[in-house]
Amino acid sequence: MRVKTFFPFLFLLVPVLAGCTVKAVGDPNRPITIKADITIDIRGLKKTAVGIEDMVAEGTSPNV
Amino acid sequence: MFRRNFLFSWLLCFATLTLSPLPALAQKSYDLREMTPEIKQAIENRKARYAELQQLKIQTVVGENNQGLAELLKSSPEARGVIEGENRDRRVIYQAIVDQNGLGNQGMAKVQAVFAEVQRGKARPGELIQLPSGEWVQKT
Repeated sequence: MRVKTFFPFLFLLVPVLAGCTVKAVGDPNRPITIKADITIDIRGLKKTAVGIEDMVAEGTSPNV
Repeated sequence: MFRRNFLFSWLLCFATLTLSPLPALAQKSYDLREMTPEIKQAIENRKARYAELQQLKIQTVVGENNQGLAELLKSSPEARGVIEGENRDRRVIYQAIVDQNGLGNQGMAKVQAVFAEVQRGKARPGELIQLPSGEWVQKT
């Protein structure tokens, strides 16, 4: 690999590796509980809510 | 030639790093993915009582609270029956959205808040709506 192309490659590789590496630490016999926070897209949810309320107000049948 | 390759490799790096978060930024859709008989019935019930509920809202007997539910604001046994049924059906729909989209423990509160916002937006002038702060106001 040429020296001049090596640095951009390295520049790309470092964050990719840093972002994807999972380090396993601790006792393997003890399960780790991960408390995940779910991010809800309010815009997407609002679109669904408007669709349902329109359906109720307009008297159209729900799609199955 | 060498210079062009060099620029191209940098451009590739830039594009990869800047475009990679795009799927995360895309708007997610939350749907009623499976229309179970219970959900279908809840929607049909709501459609059937829609006109009656609107009448109660115009009379300010019923208002839309900040939890996406209809609330009785004046004593009326008839209206109480209407809003109990309405809220039961709304809860079926809200719970289905939470369950079918895996929204977790906090999901119900979010879903209710969003539906409340939609109800405030759809309210007609003169109807009573509850703001996120808890204050009841007449829609202007």
